[in-house]
Amino acid sequence: MTDSFLRGAAAVVGVSEFHYKRGESPDSELRMTLRAIVEAAADAGVSPREIDGFVSYGGGENDGTVVGSSLMSHRIRWSNMIWGGGGGGAAAAITNAAVAIAAGQAQCVVVYRAMAQQDSGRLGYAKHHFDGHMLPHGVGSPAQACALRTRRMLEHDGVPESAMRSLVLADYFHAQQNPSAAAFGRPLDETGYDASRMIVEPYRLYDCSRENDGAVALILVSADRAEALGPNPAYVLAGSQGAVGGYAVDTENDLDYTSAGFGGTAGVAETLWADAGLGPDQVDVVQVYENFSGSGVAALIDHSLCPPGADAGKVMTVENLTAPHGLLPVNTSGGNLADSFVNGMGLAVEAVRQVRGTSTNQVPDATVSLFIGGPMAAVSSSVLLCTRDVL
Amino acid sequence: MTPSSEVAREFPATLAGPYADGLDLPYWEGLRAGELRLQRCGECGLWIWGPRWMCGQCQVFDPEWVAVEAVGRVFSWSRTWHSFIPELAGELPFITVLVELPHAGGRRVLGLLTEDGDADIAIGDAVSGIIQQPADAPWPLLRWQRAGTPPETEQGEHR
Repeated sequence: MTDSFLRGAAAVVGVSEFHYKRGESPDSELRMTLRAIVEAAADAGVSPREIDGFVSYGGGENDGTVVGSSLMSHRIRWSNMIWGGGGGGAAAAITNAAVAIAAGQAQCVVVYRAMAQQDSGRLGYAKHHFDGHMLPHGVGSPAQACALRTRRMLEHDGVPESAMRSLVLADYFHAQQNPSAAAFGRPLDETGYDASRMIVEPYRLYDCSRENDGAVALILVSADRAEALGPNPAYVLAGSQGAVGGYAVDTENDLDYTSAGFGGTAGVAETLWADAGLGPDQVDVVQVYENFSGSGVAALIDHSLCPPGADAGKVMTVENLTAPHGLLPVNTSGGNLADSFVNGMGLAVEAVRQVRGTSTNQVPDATVSLFIGGPMAAVSSSVLLCTRDVL
Repeated sequence: MTPSSEVAREFPATLAGPYADGLDLPYWEGLRAGELRLQRCGECGLWIWGPRWMCGQCQVFDPEWVAVEAVGRVFSWSRTWHSFIPELAGELPFITVLVELPHAGGRRVLGLLTEDGDADIAIGDAVSGIIQQPADAPWPLLRWQRAGTPPETEQGEHR
């Protein structure tokens, strides 16, 4: 165990998330952001005007001064954006908030993300990446960029396609218990998956994330304040972000091409485990950002939650991946595929619910909860949340 | 290579062209001259792609642009069925290949395969480049077609 100053210094004490079908939000991103923050503050038991820190990622026009002035914050002390990588910065945003609190730069920090097609269009989180060395070659979307990497993971590394399918089916299985999930009441089995149309090989329709309008907010305060507020804060145990050398925006020349970006010596995953003082075997439940099933599988491999190559198929079974009794329960609200996609931040709320014990697919006695941010992005990030007794 | 106006498939090339800051202009001028040009550091010999202002290994600016024989192997590939790019909607499905270039230190470049979208492609297939200049496009493009024997890799290291 390291003596990281971050360890347990801050905790998530309030959350809110809601979503609409893509393009159907009645509200702008700013109005949804404010609604999510007010709801999260109520959940936390703090006044929205106490919020003095604002963190987001993946773009968006509404920085801390815009949001803070609407909330009539008493003071704005921290207004930060995680640069680059679309959803790659999702977990890093939570770490950023915890750092501000641990370093005394802010006391009550909100992490937020909103997406509305009326404001930022489709794929508004991913527009920056596709240039004259990709578009004329037919690569103009994250699905196509990730498909190239997943193809090699399957064909060269030997990961079986069943690993992808199991992740998809686990998401849909969990969504059947979650009334707010977009796929609630719409179960999916192997036959339905196999029959679905190809989008970009090796991805079928069900391998690809939905896109939703919606907003998410999480409120963090110091550990002392958290204890006073309520019985079940989700403490930030450790957080890691970045890109290992040779893995960044490099026009498909990343050294470890089939990695999701978390791997490598002193990479995001290895740093996370070292800082947390625990390993993948001690994680009770995982929310993995699966923009696409294949990149989600790669992210699990990067975190040593699943072996690489052909052996991945042994761990990646529907039985193993589903709560309450699977060995590696993942995406217990339904994930980006079957619950909703607001740039992946809904997964963070589910990671908090598991620590609180309030998931609709609760893992019994969950104390260590992992949120893995966007894979195959220039910047990737992960964060571990836990109960008080883990610290 | 001589730029060909004969376009094997009607892939629109209107999406092509250099960055506003001119960083990759020599790449596009190379295609017009019938060459695939990539960057190589004149100091340490490192091949660089995508385009960069400097060699990060020895901090020398403005790496040279060097002509590279456009032959290589398929490092990975994808077959697109969904219309992500409106300009390519009429060509579905199509195959994009990521080509590893043995004569450029194993650097990889993207390109469209000129064959039909149902071609039975595999990682490791040998491919060779052809430069196409569609009549309506401002810049030519490098496309790829299957070749005979895969070339041997001269240098396995990427950097």
